[in-house]
Amino acid sequence: MRGFTHYISGLAAATFFAALVGDLRLGILIPVIAAAAAYFPDFVDFKFGKFFARRDYEIDPAPWDEKKHYAPKLVKISELSEKNRYQFFAVEGKVEEILVQGSGKLTYKVLREDGTEETVTDSYNTIVFTLNDGTGKITVEAFGDDYEFFEEEFGKIEEGREMLVFGYVDVDEDGSLKLVVSDAPHPQGIAETIARAIEEAYREGERIVKIHNIRLPGDVYRQFFVHLDPPKREVRVEMGPIVTPGGVAIGGDVPEYRKYGIAKVNVPFIKTYPKPTRVDSFSGPEIAFRRATFKGKTVVKDRFLPWHHGFSHSLTMGIIIGLVVFAFFKLIGYEHATELALASMIGQWLHVFEDQLGFMGSNLLPPITKDVIPGLKLGESGSGLTNFSTAWLMIAFMIWNFNRFTDPRPIPISDAKLLLYLIWPSIIGFGIAIIRSIRMRKELKELMDYYTNLEAFEELEEVGGI
Amino acid sequence: MAMVPLSDLLLWSFAGVLFGSLISWIPGFHIFNIMALLVAVFGVGELMPVQAFPFFAIGAIVAYAFVSAISSVYFSVADESAVFLLFPTQRYLLLGRGHEAVLLYLIGAVAGTLVLVLGALFIFPKVLPPIYQATSPYITYFLVAIVLFMFMSEWPKEGDRGKTPAERLWLAWRQILGGILVFFISGILGFIVMNTNLLPTTSAYTRLTPMFIGFFGMSWVLLNILSNPPMLEQVPEDRVESSIYNALKATFGGALGGTIAAVYPIITGGMGALVAGHMTSQRGDDAFIISQGVNRVIYYVGAFTRLFLPNLRLTRGAAAWLVSSVYTPKSYSEYLAAMGVILLSAGISFLFTYYLSKFIARSFNVLHIKKLSYIVAVVLVVISYLLTGPMGVVVLFVSTAIGMMAAAFNTRRSYCLGGLVLPVLISMTGNTGYFMHLLGLG
Repeated sequence: MRGFTHYISGLAAATFFAALVGDLRLGILIPVIAAAAAYFPDFVDFKFGKFFARRDYEIDPAPWDEKKHYAPKLVKISELSEKNRYQFFAVEGKVEEILVQGSGKLTYKVLREDGTEETVTDSYNTIVFTLNDGTGKITVEAFGDDYEFFEEEFGKIEEGREMLVFGYVDVDEDGSLKLVVSDAPHPQGIAETIARAIEEAYREGERIVKIHNIRLPGDVYRQFFVHLDPPKREVRVEMGPIVTPGGVAIGGDVPEYRKYGIAKVNVPFIKTYPKPTRVDSFSGPEIAFRRATFKGKTVVKDRFLPWHHGFSHSLTMGIIIGLVVFAFFKLIGYEHATELALASMIGQWLHVFEDQLGFMGSNLLPPITKDVIPGLKLGESGSGLTNFSTAWLMIAFMIWNFNRFTDPRPIPISDAKLLLYLIWPSIIGFGIAIIRSIRMRKELKELMDYYTNLEAFEELEEVGGI
Repeated sequence: MAMVPLSDLLLWSFAGVLFGSLISWIPGFHIFNIMALLVAVFGVGELMPVQAFPFFAIGAIVAYAFVSAISSVYFSVADESAVFLLFPTQRYLLLGRGHEAVLLYLIGAVAGTLVLVLGALFIFPKVLPPIYQATSPYITYFLVAIVLFMFMSEWPKEGDRGKTPAERLWLAWRQILGGILVFFISGILGFIVMNTNLLPTTSAYTRLTPMFIGFFGMSWVLLNILSNPPMLEQVPEDRVESSIYNALKATFGGALGGTIAAVYPIITGGMGALVAGHMTSQRGDDAFIISQGVNRVIYYVGAFTRLFLPNLRLTRGAAAWLVSSVYTPKSYSEYLAAMGVILLSAGISFLFTYYLSKFIARSFNVLHIKKLSYIVAVVLVVISYLLTGPMGVVVLFVSTAIGMMAAAFNTRRSYCLGGLVLPVLISMTGNTGYFMHLLGLG
């Protein structure tokens, strides 16, 4: 669940202890530690763990301009190399020679909604010229929809003209570099790197991939999706529209011929989360690929955000927090150190329990338990319904506790009646969430049957389908 | 003192709406500051019957809650090359959809008005007093909890791109530490302003005005001047992209945040929105802007109407303190009349905002924001001087620098609320004397 839901659970945990409520009434604010303890697992993961996590592969489809903090980065031609293939850059220079200008036919593959591929042939206009920025020269190529945009933006291209061009880097058959005019990187680079990481993980045990997002001018982002398709043994990356940080698409759909990147994987792998990975605002994800045994076979399994939901999200950590809080506050002479330690431990445990209602799950009692126990799949971590229902429940508990620990009671009705008056919105919310989750689990089962279907690939292999 | 006759009540309410509408679209102007200036310069009682002042204030505050959408959408424009994260309204403006952002805000403001009036008539009188009584002794707990959550939940925007773990950690924590620094520097300034004779004691309720103008008004105005944003063509069409579901969810979240802020002292609309946004897991720019409309109406207008609530009578917000120093409404009929004035004022303010937005969208590039910002900057200095004298101008400059620091660290603007929150927390926990000594002030 979201951070605030965990945090407010810790605030509520403290109010179950009359001594702590008494302190709060006196203006002693130490019990807020319980809320910090409840939030602690996410704090550690997102403020420290994330940055120390190992990265075997770092995929940056569109490096940032260091001054402006968005893509495309303005580079010198001499800085570009084969390593930058498919990455999105800007280059400023003088048109040296126009090599080709005219029209032709372009053949490319597109993916239909049912997952089938279709070969499409379109006629197109094109221009190919060399651009020199004083450090070197590069071939620039514009065709299809990008040519239309290019022509609209620059009009007639003549030798000697200064211009700022952006596009993705590609490598010609003869090994020379070219810049293909576009408004996004080509997704093929992302797909190939992920496929390589899966194959290496199969051989070496583990590979962690960091995928950076694509930030553009105006605080908007180019969205893209990473689909892992185990039965077909391929990684597909789909370049999406430009979106705001709130996820609203504002146009900028890429042409079909550079929308998809597909890379085949030569080892068996399965997917543990049934949806494609969406990359847009805030930051891109890390995905770990780990060798594992599944149904008696050696496969590669994915783990989203491998630094998240580790030891910090275990009940063992809650015990440690309780002990540390007790020791520290006893040492400084806080009278209710025991109650505070218990509230802190319960707050952290509530965090673990609340997250266990979602998808990721945690290893609950290390070192006694070794594996992650999958979540109950009541709703996704960002679900408004489950977050609100939980947070409201905690607010209700706080009001209820404040009332029953005050004499005379500000709300003079029985405890049971007051609690019922306060928590009904949460009961309704959880009721709806449970009904939804029953439906969702059915859909998930179908998807997971697909994502963990190794036989489909083996059949393809037998008939030479890949 | 009897309630003013209905005709006078309507007249002064209308005057309030007109006054609020005319000044609320100007960037950097806050209705509380201008009302304080009005009272300081002209006084109340000679021009206007004192019993009419609360209704004049309601009209002005409702107008502010609606019309200020114009300044936050059109006049806090950002340079598209700005490295800072943009507000959704700024993004709409950069896309030429400023009018759409205003319409979304208005949807929220109307929803907020209805929620507020229905709540005030049927729910608040019965539910608020016992809940408030049960929870009010713990306000410092909530306050310190929100501040701690703001620190702990700050999202590091840049750590991802460092080359080494140490560099990533530094890039992330630079922003987090920057936020904490802004909060405490603001707090120290607020503490000095509240607890020393730096500003004349005669300034009473307006002592904090230059500080807030600096944090939230002047710093924006200066950023407009420094960033020299492009005045992009705007589409004045009446069209919004949203859904009923998003609007309802945003209304719920906005109402929750606005209510929390309206009822509990020191918790501002921004803090309330932070809490409610997390509670309802809000996502989407349209939902965000709608919820802002709901939140601001309930926060500003709702907080003020607590002054009218006969069985609770809470003084929330600078306007309520200002009005209560002149006249406090006492009867249930005044409470009911206030609800009527809210609806009437909301209707007028809606039309004013709508047509003003259309006009500005059509003529957006006639006057460059930079020129307008120069004029506003001068006016803000003059207001600070008139209300608090030369030292007020000094406070204005210092708080402006702090407001700019928040932008430079790419951190939350709301950390500047430390100027209010920190001294109040120090005072509520009985530590003012200790801190006075610590700062060498007494």
